[in-house]
Amino acid sequence: MIDTLETHDVVVIGGGPAGLAAALGARRAGAGKVLLVERDRTLGGILNQCVHDGFGLFLYKETISGPEYSERLVEDVVREPIKVETGAMVLDLTPDRVLRINSRSGYRLVRAGAVVLAMGCRERTREMIEIPGTRPAGVFTAGSAQNLVNLQNIRIGNAAVILGSGDIGLIMARRLTFEGVAVKGVFEIMPWASGLERNVRQCLLDFGIPLELRSTVVEIRGRDRVESVVVAKVDGKLMPIPGTESVVPCDTLLLSVGLIPENELSKRAGVALSSLTGGAVVDENCMTSVPGVFSCGNVLHIHDVADWASFEGFAAGESAARYAAGERPAGGTVRIFAGPNVKYALPQLLTAGTAGTEWSFRVARPLRNVQVVVKGKATDKVYARKKFGRLLPSELQKIKVRPAVAEDLEVSCHE
Amino acid sequence: MSDRPVLDRLTCVLCPVGCELDVRKDEAGELDVRGNQCDKGVPFAVEEILHPKRNLATSVPVQGTAATMVSVRLSGPVPREMIFPVLAEIARLRPEAPVSRGQVLIGDVLGTGVDVIATRTVPLISRGRSGFRGAGCGGRGRRARGI
Repeated sequence: MIDTLETHDVVVIGGGPAGLAAALGARRAGAGKVLLVERDRTLGGILNQCVHDGFGLFLYKETISGPEYSERLVEDVVREPIKVETGAMVLDLTPDRVLRINSRSGYRLVRAGAVVLAMGCRERTREMIEIPGTRPAGVFTAGSAQNLVNLQNIRIGNAAVILGSGDIGLIMARRLTFEGVAVKGVFEIMPWASGLERNVRQCLLDFGIPLELRSTVVEIRGRDRVESVVVAKVDGKLMPIPGTESVVPCDTLLLSVGLIPENELSKRAGVALSSLTGGAVVDENCMTSVPGVFSCGNVLHIHDVADWASFEGFAAGESAARYAAGERPAGGTVRIFAGPNVKYALPQLLTAGTAGTEWSFRVARPLRNVQVVVKGKATDKVYARKKFGRLLPSELQKIKVRPAVAEDLEVSCHE
Repeated sequence: MSDRPVLDRLTCVLCPVGCELDVRKDEAGELDVRGNQCDKGVPFAVEEILHPKRNLATSVPVQGTAATMVSVRLSGPVPREMIFPVLAEIARLRPEAPVSRGQVLIGDVLGTGVDVIATRTVPLISRGRSGFRGAGCGGRGRRARGI
């Protein structure tokens, strides 16, 4: 059985921006046989339904829409001798990089010199945040509503309430307004918006859509279809305050309450996950705890800008090609911890002695006049410092550490 | 002057520094912008307050296909008050396949000087690209107005 296995140098799982970039990165770094497996019928991932403008500022030096961004990357991929398989699902991945793939041509086993995980993420659902009430039609995650409206031309309702101020929720507030749907308001449990500020301004303020902070939906009402939702203010512990409830009539509730990296396959391969990011623990080469298995894009951590997912994909693909060619990096032994005010810093591991590493990090709460410091955990030696006027949890930031590092580090933010 | 009420507070989006700009009106009624760390901040804030411009994106069904949509946007921003008039023009569009990315679907829409352009390629024979077709959605791809 084993000697009849189809083999590839690099197999990329997922054909969104990170996966497309990973396949290209693998080719650029010299991988001969590259296989890209995508579950949907077309490549491009979630970009295809993100018809709004604002993508590509860093990769293409202009702002374009999601479908344009996707088509450009796909055009680069099809120019390369990359084997692309759409409508195909990877059912299993073993630690020694054997994949079980179910595709149009049937079920088969594939052995990979290296694997890049680029499966993206899923939306948090009503069930996961446990909103009480009835179970009528009319409750959608923001991304599925976006698919219905933008790709399938389906009108999802007449009057909508949006729970959560994530970027997709904000974008959908504007999109529904364009379609003539009355958007009654966006309710956010935290004291700050979780989406980008530009989106708050251009998607809500422009159209007079109220954003209610420190508020949440405490009940969904309606038998066959949503008839109203009950909203309430929350206290410092995010618990609803009795007596602050009000009823908002609507027939549609959109949920934009967070994204979760889709790591089912990673778990089957034994990849160690981080509780802070929901994605794999990786080193500076995007390599996970399983040698030869790499991770990038939203399956690694949630990105707010597609370009960062693409850049991570290029890097992961290049690393995977080098691994497939026989390079064996020492592997990360230096650990990087998230210190005060930092939600997470990535990569979490670094090969001892590496210089010039750039870390991505996200703050835990909005901060002003911030000094970001990367220092030795034991020695307090400062490796990098960077000042920011303001940092928001919605914005992934970067900090570069120039000197070589041989001890555990901590990234912290101080106002 | 700084005791005058803040008219608007906005974040400059021209670079990653993201200066927070406070906009007030001075005695003469002129806009007074504070908080900018470079010269670009003031014109940015003045335009955003007095003549905000926006791009817009939507999608329209392609003629002669079952449920294929072509996404569209503008080649550049238009004055914000033109959003809904432009959307009404776009709503009348029923482009025929094939459509190529970047194809001008409406030139100089409503005299704004910008074009409505397609942002995806729709080949002559299209099978649609929805991810949700199949279980539970039984081919309900056409316009289903109402609920």
